[in-house]
Amino acid sequence: MDTHQANLRPLIEAQKVSKHFGSFHALKEVSATFYEGQVTAIIGPSGSGKSTFLRTLNRLETHDSGSIRVDGIELNDDLKNLDAIRREVGMVFQSFNLFSHLTILRNVALAPIRVRKTSPAEAEAKAMALLERVGLADQAHKYPVQLSGGQQQRVAIARALAMDPKVLLFDEPTSALDPEMVNEVLAVMRELAHTGITMLVVTHEMGFAREVADRIIFFDNGVILEDTTPEALFTQPAHERTKAFLSQVKHGF
Amino acid sequence: MKWTRKNPGWVMFAAMIGLLLFLWGMAIPLAAAPDPIGPAAKQFAEGARVTVWLTLISGSVGVVLGVIAGLGKLSAFAPLRWLCNFYVWLIRGTPLLLQILFVWLAVPQILPDSLQISDFACAAIALALNIGAYNTECVRAGILAVPQGQVEAARALGLSPFQTFMDIVLPQSMRVALPALANNLASLVKDSSLAYAISVVELTMVGYRIQAESYQPIPVFLTIAMIYLILTTAFTTLTAALENQLDVGRKRQENS
Repeated sequence: MDTHQANLRPLIEAQKVSKHFGSFHALKEVSATFYEGQVTAIIGPSGSGKSTFLRTLNRLETHDSGSIRVDGIELNDDLKNLDAIRREVGMVFQSFNLFSHLTILRNVALAPIRVRKTSPAEAEAKAMALLERVGLADQAHKYPVQLSGGQQQRVAIARALAMDPKVLLFDEPTSALDPEMVNEVLAVMRELAHTGITMLVVTHEMGFAREVADRIIFFDNGVILEDTTPEALFTQPAHERTKAFLSQVKHGF
Repeated sequence: MKWTRKNPGWVMFAAMIGLLLFLWGMAIPLAAAPDPIGPAAKQFAEGARVTVWLTLISGSVGVVLGVIAGLGKLSAFAPLRWLCNFYVWLIRGTPLLLQILFVWLAVPQILPDSLQISDFACAAIALALNIGAYNTECVRAGILAVPQGQVEAARALGLSPFQTFMDIVLPQSMRVALPALANNLASLVKDSSLAYAISVVELTMVGYRIQAESYQPIPVFLTIAMIYLILTTAFTTLTAALENQLDVGRKRQENS
Protein backbone atom coordinates (compact mmCIF):
# COMPACT_ATOMS: atom_id res chain seq x y z
CA MET A 1 0.00 0.00 0.00
CA ASP A 2 2.83 2.27 0.95
CA THR A 3 5.29 2.66 -1.86
CA HIS A 4 5.62 6.39 -2.13
CA GLN A 5 8.67 6.67 0.14
CA ALA A 6 10.72 3.78 -1.15
CA ASN A 7 13.96 5.73 -1.35
CA LEU A 8 13.96 6.61 2.37
CA ARG A 9 15.35 4.67 5.31
CA PRO A 10 12.67 2.89 7.37
CA LEU A 11 12.76 4.07 11.01
CA ILE A 12 9.78 2.30 12.51
CA GLU A 13 8.55 -1.04 11.19
CA ALA A 14 5.36 -2.43 12.73
CA GLN A 15 4.38 -5.92 11.60
CA LYS A 16 0.96 -7.38 12.40
CA VAL A 17 0.73 -5.64 15.77
CA SER A 18 -2.22 -6.77 17.89
CA LYS A 19 -3.40 -5.52 21.25
CA HIS A 20 -6.28 -6.46 23.55
CA PHE A 21 -7.65 -4.60 26.54
CA GLY A 22 -9.51 -7.42 28.25
CA SER A 23 -11.98 -8.63 25.64
CA PHE A 24 -11.68 -5.44 23.60
CA HIS A 25 -9.58 -5.94 20.47
CA ALA A 26 -7.89 -2.53 20.21
CA LEU A 27 -5.40 -3.29 17.42
CA LYS A 28 -5.94 -5.97 14.81
CA GLU A 29 -2.72 -6.99 13.07
CA VAL A 30 -1.68 -3.45 12.23
CA SER A 31 1.29 -3.16 9.88
CA ALA A 32 2.95 0.07 8.85
CA THR A 33 6.43 1.36 8.11
CA PHE A 34 7.50 4.91 8.84
CA TYR A 35 10.44 6.47 7.06
CA GLU A 36 13.08 8.92 8.13
CA GLY A 37 12.02 12.53 7.69
CA GLN A 38 8.40 11.69 7.07
CA VAL A 39 5.57 13.53 8.82
CA THR A 40 2.61 11.20 9.24
CA ALA A 41 -0.79 12.27 10.53
CA ILE A 42 -2.89 9.55 12.14
CA ILE A 43 -6.59 10.28 12.23
CA GLY A 44 -9.74 8.39 13.04
CA PRO A 45 -12.68 8.27 15.44
CA SER A 46 -12.26 7.89 19.21
CA GLY A 47 -11.54 4.33 20.25
CA SER A 48 -10.29 3.39 16.79
CA GLY A 49 -6.87 2.40 18.18
CA LYS A 50 -4.81 5.31 16.86
CA SER A 51 -3.50 6.44 20.26
CA THR A 52 -2.96 2.84 21.37
CA PHE A 53 -0.93 2.20 18.23
CA LEU A 54 1.21 5.27 18.89
CA ARG A 55 1.75 4.21 22.50
CA THR A 56 2.90 0.72 21.50
CA LEU A 57 5.70 2.31 19.45
CA ASN A 58 7.65 3.25 22.61
CA ARG A 59 6.07 0.51 24.70
CA LEU A 60 3.91 2.66 26.94
CA GLU A 61 1.52 -0.10 25.90
CA THR A 62 2.81 -3.60 25.31
CA HIS A 63 1.63 -5.38 22.16
CA ASP A 64 0.22 -8.89 22.45
CA SER A 65 1.60 -10.16 19.15
CA GLY A 66 3.39 -9.00 16.05
CA SER A 67 6.70 -7.16 15.99
CA ILE A 68 7.85 -3.56 16.20
CA ARG A 69 11.35 -2.48 15.20
CA VAL A 70 12.57 1.04 15.86
CA ASP A 71 15.76 2.03 14.08
CA GLY A 72 16.48 -1.66 13.66
CA ILE A 73 16.00 -2.52 17.36
CA GLU A 74 13.30 -5.04 18.27
CA LEU A 75 10.84 -3.72 20.88
CA ASN A 76 10.36 -6.47 23.46
CA ASP A 77 10.74 -7.17 27.17
CA ASP A 78 14.50 -6.65 26.94
CA LEU A 79 15.01 -3.51 29.02
CA LYS A 80 18.25 -2.66 27.26
CA ASN A 81 16.44 -2.48 23.93
CA LEU A 82 13.67 -0.48 25.50
CA ASP A 83 16.04 2.09 26.98
CA ALA A 84 17.84 2.39 23.65
CA ILE A 85 14.56 2.92 21.83
CA ARG A 86 13.16 5.41 24.31
CA ARG A 87 16.27 7.53 23.92
CA GLU A 88 15.53 7.82 20.21
CA VAL A 89 11.77 8.27 20.42
CA GLY A 90 10.37 11.48 21.90
CA MET A 91 6.76 11.74 22.96
CA VAL A 92 4.35 14.63 23.45
CA PHE A 93 1.17 13.85 25.38
CA GLN A 94 -2.35 15.19 25.21
CA SER A 95 -2.21 16.35 28.84
CA PHE A 96 1.38 17.71 28.63
CA ASN A 97 2.55 15.71 31.68
CA LEU A 98 5.17 18.23 32.71
CA PHE A 99 6.89 17.48 36.01
CA SER A 100 4.99 19.85 38.28
CA HIS A 101 7.63 20.09 41.02
CA LEU A 102 10.38 21.18 38.64
CA THR A 103 10.96 24.51 36.90
CA ILE A 104 10.39 24.74 33.16
CA LEU A 105 14.16 24.77 32.59
CA ARG A 106 14.66 21.72 34.80
CA ASN A 107 11.79 19.91 33.05
CA VAL A 108 13.66 20.25 29.76
CA ALA A 109 17.15 19.58 31.15
CA LEU A 110 16.36 16.58 33.38
CA ALA A 111 16.42 13.73 30.87
CA PRO A 112 19.72 14.75 29.19
CA ILE A 113 21.34 15.04 32.63
CA ARG A 114 20.04 11.69 33.88
CA VAL A 115 19.95 9.61 30.71
CA ARG A 116 22.67 11.09 28.51
CA LYS A 117 24.84 12.10 31.50
CA THR A 118 25.23 15.60 30.08
CA SER A 119 26.67 18.07 32.59
CA PRO A 120 23.94 20.19 34.22
CA ALA A 121 25.42 23.43 32.89
CA GLU A 122 25.53 22.11 29.33
CA ALA A 123 22.06 20.57 29.58
CA GLU A 124 20.57 23.80 30.90
CA ALA A 125 22.25 25.86 28.20
CA LYS A 126 20.74 23.54 25.60
CA ALA A 127 17.37 23.61 27.37
CA MET A 128 17.48 27.39 27.26
CA ALA A 129 18.15 27.32 23.52
CA LEU A 130 15.20 24.95 23.01
CA LEU A 131 12.92 27.15 25.10
CA GLU A 132 14.06 30.06 22.97
CA ARG A 133 13.04 28.06 19.92
CA VAL A 134 9.51 27.47 21.23
CA GLY A 135 9.31 31.11 22.35
CA LEU A 136 9.36 30.51 26.11
CA ALA A 137 12.86 31.48 27.23
CA ASP A 138 11.39 34.16 29.47
CA GLN A 139 9.35 31.53 31.36
CA ALA A 140 12.33 29.26 32.13
CA HIS A 141 12.29 29.75 35.88
CA LYS A 142 8.56 29.40 36.39
CA TYR A 143 6.72 26.23 37.32
CA PRO A 144 4.34 24.38 34.96
CA VAL A 145 1.23 25.43 36.89
CA GLN A 146 2.06 29.09 36.17
CA LEU A 147 1.88 28.56 32.39
CA SER A 148 -1.10 28.35 30.07
CA GLY A 149 -1.96 25.04 28.43
CA GLY A 150 -0.47 26.12 25.12
CA GLN A 151 2.74 27.21 26.79
CA GLN A 152 2.94 23.94 28.73
CA GLN A 153 2.59 21.94 25.54
CA ARG A 154 5.36 23.97 23.89
CA VAL A 155 7.56 23.18 26.91
CA ALA A 156 6.64 19.50 26.52
CA ILE A 157 7.82 19.65 22.92
CA ALA A 158 11.08 21.30 23.98
CA ARG A 159 11.49 18.59 26.64
CA ALA A 160 11.09 15.85 24.03
CA LEU A 161 13.54 17.60 21.68
CA ALA A 162 16.17 17.87 24.42
CA MET A 163 16.97 14.18 23.97
CA ASP A 164 17.65 14.72 20.23
CA PRO A 165 15.17 12.01 19.27
CA LYS A 166 15.06 10.55 15.77
CA VAL A 167 11.28 10.32 15.94
CA LEU A 168 8.70 12.45 17.73
CA LEU A 169 5.35 10.92 18.64
CA PHE A 170 2.48 13.34 19.26
CA ASP A 171 -0.58 11.93 21.01
CA GLU A 172 -3.40 14.41 20.31
CA PRO A 173 -1.18 17.34 21.29
CA THR A 174 -3.87 19.99 20.91
CA SER A 175 -6.96 18.12 22.14
CA ALA A 176 -6.72 19.37 25.73
CA LEU A 177 -6.16 22.99 24.74
CA ASP A 178 -8.48 25.97 24.66
CA PRO A 179 -9.16 26.90 21.03
CA GLU A 180 -7.12 30.09 21.13
CA MET A 181 -4.04 28.14 22.22
CA VAL A 182 -4.17 25.48 19.53
CA ASN A 183 -2.42 27.63 16.94
CA GLU A 184 0.64 28.47 19.01
CA VAL A 185 1.29 24.72 19.43
CA LEU A 186 0.58 23.92 15.79
CA ALA A 187 2.98 26.71 14.77
CA VAL A 188 5.80 25.06 16.73
CA MET A 189 4.95 21.66 15.22
CA ARG A 190 4.84 23.13 11.73
CA GLU A 191 8.27 24.67 12.22
CA LEU A 192 9.53 21.29 13.48
CA ALA A 193 8.12 19.43 10.50
CA HIS A 194 10.14 21.66 8.20
CA THR A 195 13.40 20.76 9.99
CA GLY A 196 13.14 17.22 8.63
CA ILE A 197 12.55 15.37 11.91
CA THR A 198 10.39 12.26 11.65
CA MET A 199 6.97 12.88 13.19
CA LEU A 200 3.91 10.75 13.90
CA VAL A 201 0.97 12.89 14.92
CA VAL A 202 -2.31 11.52 16.20
CA THR A 203 -4.60 14.47 15.71
CA HIS A 204 -8.08 15.79 15.14
CA GLU A 205 -6.71 18.92 13.44
CA MET A 206 -7.60 18.13 9.84
CA GLY A 207 -6.29 21.47 8.59
CA PHE A 208 -2.90 20.77 10.13
CA ALA A 209 -2.86 17.19 8.83
CA ARG A 210 -3.63 18.33 5.33
CA GLU A 211 -1.14 21.16 5.31
CA VAL A 212 1.86 19.66 7.11
CA ALA A 213 1.71 15.88 6.78
CA ASP A 214 3.43 13.96 3.97
CA ARG A 215 1.27 10.97 4.67
CA ILE A 216 -2.01 10.31 6.39
CA ILE A 217 -3.34 7.17 8.02
CA PHE A 218 -6.99 6.64 8.79
CA PHE A 219 -7.68 4.25 11.67
CA ASP A 220 -11.02 2.63 12.28
CA ASN A 221 -11.96 -0.22 14.57
CA GLY A 222 -8.38 -1.29 15.25
CA VAL A 223 -7.23 -1.44 11.62
CA ILE A 224 -5.62 0.95 9.18
CA LEU A 225 -8.35 1.65 6.66
CA GLU A 226 -6.46 4.11 4.49
CA ASP A 227 -2.79 4.95 4.18
CA THR A 228 -2.19 7.59 1.55
CA THR A 229 -1.32 11.23 0.94
CA PRO A 230 -3.42 13.95 2.62
CA GLU A 231 -4.43 15.27 -0.79
CA ALA A 232 -5.81 11.90 -1.87
CA LEU A 233 -7.55 11.23 1.44
CA PHE A 234 -9.31 14.55 1.64
CA THR A 235 -10.31 14.75 -2.03
CA GLN A 236 -11.08 11.11 -2.86
CA PRO A 237 -11.41 8.93 0.23
CA ALA A 238 -11.51 5.26 -0.75
CA HIS A 239 -13.90 4.04 1.93
CA GLU A 240 -17.42 4.99 2.92
CA ARG A 241 -16.28 5.01 6.55
CA THR A 242 -13.61 7.62 5.77
CA LYS A 243 -16.13 9.78 3.93
CA ALA A 244 -18.52 9.64 6.86
CA PHE A 245 -15.74 10.51 9.32
CA LEU A 246 -14.50 13.42 7.22
CA SER A 247 -17.96 14.88 6.81
CA GLN A 248 -18.42 14.67 10.58
CA VAL A 249 -15.18 16.46 11.46
CA LYS A 250 -15.53 19.02 8.68
CA HIS A 251 -18.02 20.87 10.81
CA GLY A 252 -15.12 21.62 13.10
CA PHE A 253 -13.08 23.74 10.68
CA MET B 1 2.73 34.65 59.07
CA LYS B 2 3.88 35.96 55.74
CA TRP B 3 7.47 36.22 56.89
CA THR B 4 7.49 32.66 58.25
CA ARG B 5 6.04 31.36 54.99
CA LYS B 6 8.64 33.16 52.93
CA ASN B 7 11.58 32.14 55.11
CA PRO B 8 10.96 28.51 56.03
CA GLY B 9 14.69 27.87 56.28
CA TRP B 10 15.05 30.44 59.07
CA VAL B 11 11.96 29.12 60.84
CA MET B 12 13.36 25.58 60.83
CA PHE B 13 16.68 26.89 62.07
CA ALA B 14 15.01 28.90 64.83
CA ALA B 15 12.81 25.94 65.89
CA MET B 16 15.82 23.65 66.08
CA ILE B 17 17.91 26.15 68.06
CA GLY B 18 14.90 26.77 70.30
CA LEU B 19 14.49 23.04 70.90
CA LEU B 20 18.17 22.58 71.73
CA LEU B 21 18.20 25.60 74.06
CA PHE B 22 15.09 24.28 75.75
CA LEU B 23 16.45 20.75 76.19
CA TRP B 24 19.76 21.83 77.65
CA GLY B 25 18.68 25.08 79.29
CA MET B 26 15.36 24.28 80.91
CA ALA B 27 16.97 22.98 84.11
CA ILE B 28 18.14 26.53 84.94
CA PRO B 29 14.71 28.23 85.26
CA LEU B 30 13.12 25.03 86.57
CA ALA B 31 15.68 24.88 89.38
CA ALA B 32 14.29 28.16 90.70
CA ALA B 33 10.78 26.67 90.98
CA PRO B 34 9.50 25.67 94.44
CA ASP B 35 9.35 22.10 95.72
CA PRO B 36 8.84 19.51 94.27
CA ILE B 37 9.88 20.87 90.84
CA GLY B 38 13.04 22.81 91.66
CA PRO B 39 15.13 20.02 93.19
CA ALA B 40 14.22 17.65 90.34
CA ALA B 41 14.94 20.15 87.52
CA LYS B 42 17.81 18.09 86.13
CA GLN B 43 15.68 14.93 86.02
CA PHE B 44 12.97 16.75 84.04
CA ALA B 45 15.57 17.96 81.55
CA GLU B 46 17.11 14.51 81.25
CA GLY B 47 13.67 12.94 80.74
CA ALA B 48 12.82 15.46 78.03
CA ARG B 49 16.06 14.69 76.23
CA VAL B 50 15.32 10.95 76.30
CA THR B 51 11.81 11.62 74.94
CA VAL B 52 13.20 13.75 72.10
CA TRP B 53 15.89 11.19 71.27
CA LEU B 54 13.34 8.41 71.22
CA THR B 55 11.06 10.48 68.97
CA LEU B 56 13.81 11.49 66.55
CA ILE B 57 15.31 8.02 66.21
CA SER B 58 12.05 6.08 65.87
CA GLY B 59 10.56 8.90 63.76
CA SER B 60 13.41 8.80 61.20
CA VAL B 61 13.50 5.02 61.03
CA GLY B 62 9.69 5.10 60.80
CA VAL B 63 9.80 7.34 57.71
CA VAL B 64 12.24 4.98 55.99
CA LEU B 65 10.05 1.99 56.92
CA GLY B 66 6.99 3.88 55.68
CA VAL B 67 8.60 4.60 52.29
CA ILE B 68 9.77 0.99 51.89
CA ALA B 69 6.47 -0.57 52.95
CA GLY B 70 4.45 2.05 51.06
CA LEU B 71 6.34 1.16 47.89
CA GLY B 72 6.02 -2.52 48.70
CA LYS B 73 2.26 -2.23 48.95
CA LEU B 74 2.22 -0.84 45.40
CA SER B 75 4.66 -3.42 44.06
CA ALA B 76 3.73 -5.60 41.12
CA PHE B 77 5.37 -8.50 42.96
CA ALA B 78 2.54 -10.10 44.94
CA PRO B 79 4.47 -11.71 47.84
CA LEU B 80 6.05 -8.33 48.65
CA ARG B 81 2.59 -6.75 48.63
CA TRP B 82 1.29 -9.44 50.98
CA LEU B 83 4.22 -8.96 53.33
CA CYS B 84 3.66 -5.20 53.55
CA ASN B 85 -0.08 -5.61 53.97
CA PHE B 86 0.56 -8.11 56.73
CA TYR B 87 2.94 -5.68 58.48
CA VAL B 88 0.42 -2.83 58.44
CA TRP B 89 -2.42 -5.16 59.44
CA LEU B 90 -0.46 -6.61 62.35
CA ILE B 91 0.79 -3.30 63.74
CA ARG B 92 -2.42 -1.33 63.33
CA GLY B 93 -4.46 -4.16 64.80
CA THR B 94 -2.54 -4.55 68.06
CA PRO B 95 -1.90 -2.10 70.93
CA LEU B 96 1.35 -0.13 70.93
CA LEU B 97 1.91 -1.06 74.57
CA LEU B 98 1.77 -4.75 73.66
CA GLN B 99 4.25 -4.17 70.83
CA ILE B 100 6.67 -2.44 73.21
CA LEU B 101 6.34 -5.22 75.78
CA PHE B 102 6.79 -7.84 73.08
CA VAL B 103 10.05 -6.33 71.83
CA TRP B 104 11.26 -5.94 75.40
CA LEU B 105 10.30 -9.38 76.77
CA ALA B 106 9.90 -11.72 73.82
CA VAL B 107 12.64 -10.64 71.44
CA PRO B 108 15.50 -11.19 73.95
CA GLN B 109 14.37 -14.81 74.23
CA ILE B 110 14.73 -15.22 70.47
CA LEU B 111 18.08 -13.43 70.19
CA PRO B 112 21.32 -15.10 71.30
CA ASP B 113 22.62 -13.98 74.70
CA SER B 114 25.53 -12.11 73.15
CA LEU B 115 23.11 -9.90 71.24
CA GLN B 116 21.04 -8.29 73.95
CA ILE B 117 19.67 -4.81 73.42
CA SER B 118 19.06 -1.97 75.84
CA ASP B 119 15.62 -0.92 77.13
CA PHE B 120 15.94 2.30 75.15
CA ALA B 121 16.68 0.37 71.95
CA CYS B 122 13.69 -1.91 72.57
CA ALA B 123 11.43 1.13 72.89
CA ALA B 124 12.95 2.74 69.78
CA ILE B 125 12.46 -0.43 67.72
CA ALA B 126 8.85 -0.90 68.81
CA LEU B 127 7.98 2.76 68.22
CA ALA B 128 9.70 2.79 64.81
CA LEU B 129 7.82 -0.32 63.71
CA ASN B 130 4.59 1.20 64.96
CA ILE B 131 4.88 4.62 63.32
CA GLY B 132 6.30 2.95 60.20
CA ALA B 133 3.01 1.10 59.70
CA TYR B 134 1.01 4.32 59.97
CA ASN B 135 3.50 6.13 57.71
CA THR B 136 3.07 3.34 55.13
CA GLU B 137 -0.47 4.42 54.39
CA CYS B 138 0.52 8.11 54.14
CA VAL B 139 3.36 7.33 51.75
CA ARG B 140 1.16 5.07 49.65
CA ALA B 141 -1.45 7.83 49.36
CA GLY B 142 1.30 10.27 48.39
CA ILE B 143 2.63 7.99 45.67
CA LEU B 144 -0.85 7.38 44.29
CA ALA B 145 -1.38 11.15 44.13
CA VAL B 146 1.46 11.61 41.61
CA PRO B 147 -0.18 11.73 38.17
CA GLN B 148 0.54 8.56 36.17
CA GLY B 149 1.08 10.75 33.10
CA GLN B 150 4.25 12.20 34.65
CA VAL B 151 5.58 8.69 35.23
CA GLU B 152 4.84 7.84 31.58
CA ALA B 153 6.53 11.04 30.44
CA ALA B 154 9.65 10.22 32.47
CA ARG B 155 9.77 6.66 31.14
CA ALA B 156 9.20 7.90 27.58
CA LEU B 157 12.18 10.23 28.02
CA GLY B 158 14.34 7.20 28.81
CA LEU B 159 14.59 7.56 32.59
CA SER B 160 14.92 4.19 34.33
CA PRO B 161 12.22 3.09 36.80
CA PHE B 162 14.58 3.97 39.67
CA GLN B 163 15.40 7.41 38.25
CA THR B 164 11.71 8.02 37.65
CA PHE B 165 10.99 7.17 41.27
CA MET B 166 13.78 9.30 42.72
CA ASP B 167 13.35 12.33 40.46
CA ILE B 168 9.62 12.42 39.81
CA VAL B 169 7.57 10.26 42.17
CA LEU B 170 9.33 10.54 45.52
CA PRO B 171 9.62 14.35 45.75
CA GLN B 172 6.01 14.88 44.74
CA SER B 173 4.61 12.10 46.90
CA MET B 174 6.50 13.46 49.91
CA ARG B 175 4.87 16.81 49.39
CA VAL B 176 1.48 15.14 49.58
CA ALA B 177 2.40 12.81 52.42
CA LEU B 178 4.18 15.37 54.58
CA PRO B 179 1.18 16.82 56.48
CA ALA B 180 0.05 13.31 57.43
CA LEU B 181 3.59 12.26 58.34
CA ALA B 182 3.91 15.37 60.51
CA ASN B 183 0.69 14.37 62.23
CA ASN B 184 2.14 10.94 62.99
CA LEU B 185 5.30 12.56 64.36
CA ALA B 186 3.26 14.72 66.74
CA SER B 187 1.55 11.54 67.95
CA LEU B 188 4.91 9.85 68.33
CA VAL B 189 6.20 12.53 70.74
CA LYS B 190 3.40 11.51 73.08
CA ASP B 191 3.31 7.79 72.27
CA SER B 192 6.95 7.58 73.31
CA SER B 193 5.66 7.96 76.88
CA LEU B 194 4.58 4.30 76.74
CA ALA B 195 8.27 3.44 76.95
CA TYR B 196 7.92 4.09 80.68
CA ALA B 197 6.33 0.62 80.88
CA ILE B 198 9.68 -0.97 80.11
CA SER B 199 11.56 1.29 82.54
CA VAL B 200 12.99 3.73 80.02
CA VAL B 201 13.45 6.92 82.01
CA GLU B 202 11.72 9.30 79.66
CA LEU B 203 9.67 12.35 80.56
CA THR B 204 6.52 10.60 81.79
CA MET B 205 8.55 8.14 83.84
CA VAL B 206 10.41 11.08 85.42
CA GLY B 207 7.10 12.69 86.36
CA TYR B 208 5.76 9.44 87.76
CA ARG B 209 8.81 8.97 89.97
CA ILE B 210 8.90 12.54 91.26
CA GLN B 211 5.25 12.58 92.19
CA ALA B 212 5.64 9.22 93.90
CA GLU B 213 8.41 10.64 96.06
CA SER B 214 6.77 13.99 96.77
CA TYR B 215 3.08 13.02 96.88
CA GLN B 216 2.35 16.15 94.82
CA PRO B 217 0.98 14.95 91.46
CA ILE B 218 -0.63 18.26 90.46
CA PRO B 219 2.47 20.49 90.03
CA VAL B 220 4.53 17.59 88.72
CA PHE B 221 2.11 16.48 86.02
CA LEU B 222 1.37 20.09 85.03
CA THR B 223 5.09 20.62 84.52
CA ILE B 224 5.33 17.43 82.47
CA ALA B 225 2.33 18.49 80.37
CA MET B 226 3.93 21.89 79.76
CA ILE B 227 7.18 20.30 78.60
CA TYR B 228 5.28 17.98 76.22
CA LEU B 229 3.39 20.97 74.81
CA ILE B 230 6.63 22.86 74.19
CA LEU B 231 8.16 19.77 72.51
CA THR B 232 5.16 19.15 70.24
CA THR B 233 5.05 22.86 69.37
CA ALA B 234 8.70 22.75 68.36
CA PHE B 235 8.12 19.64 66.24
CA THR B 236 5.01 20.99 64.52
CA THR B 237 6.78 24.30 63.83
CA LEU B 238 9.60 22.34 62.25
CA THR B 239 7.33 20.21 60.07
CA ALA B 240 5.17 23.19 59.08
CA ALA B 241 8.30 25.04 57.97
CA LEU B 242 9.41 21.96 56.09
CA GLU B 243 6.05 21.95 54.29
CA ASN B 244 6.65 25.55 53.27
CA GLN B 245 10.15 24.69 52.18
CA LEU B 246 8.85 21.91 49.95
CA ASP B 247 6.04 24.18 48.82
CA VAL B 248 3.15 21.94 49.86
CA GLY B 249 0.06 23.65 48.50
CA ARG B 250 1.85 25.92 46.09
CA LYS B 251 -0.80 25.26 43.50
CA ARG B 252 -3.54 26.55 45.71
CA GLN B 253 -1.71 29.75 46.56
CA GLU B 254 -0.91 30.59 43.00
CA ASN B 255 -4.27 29.78 41.55
CA SER B 256 -6.09 31.95 44.04
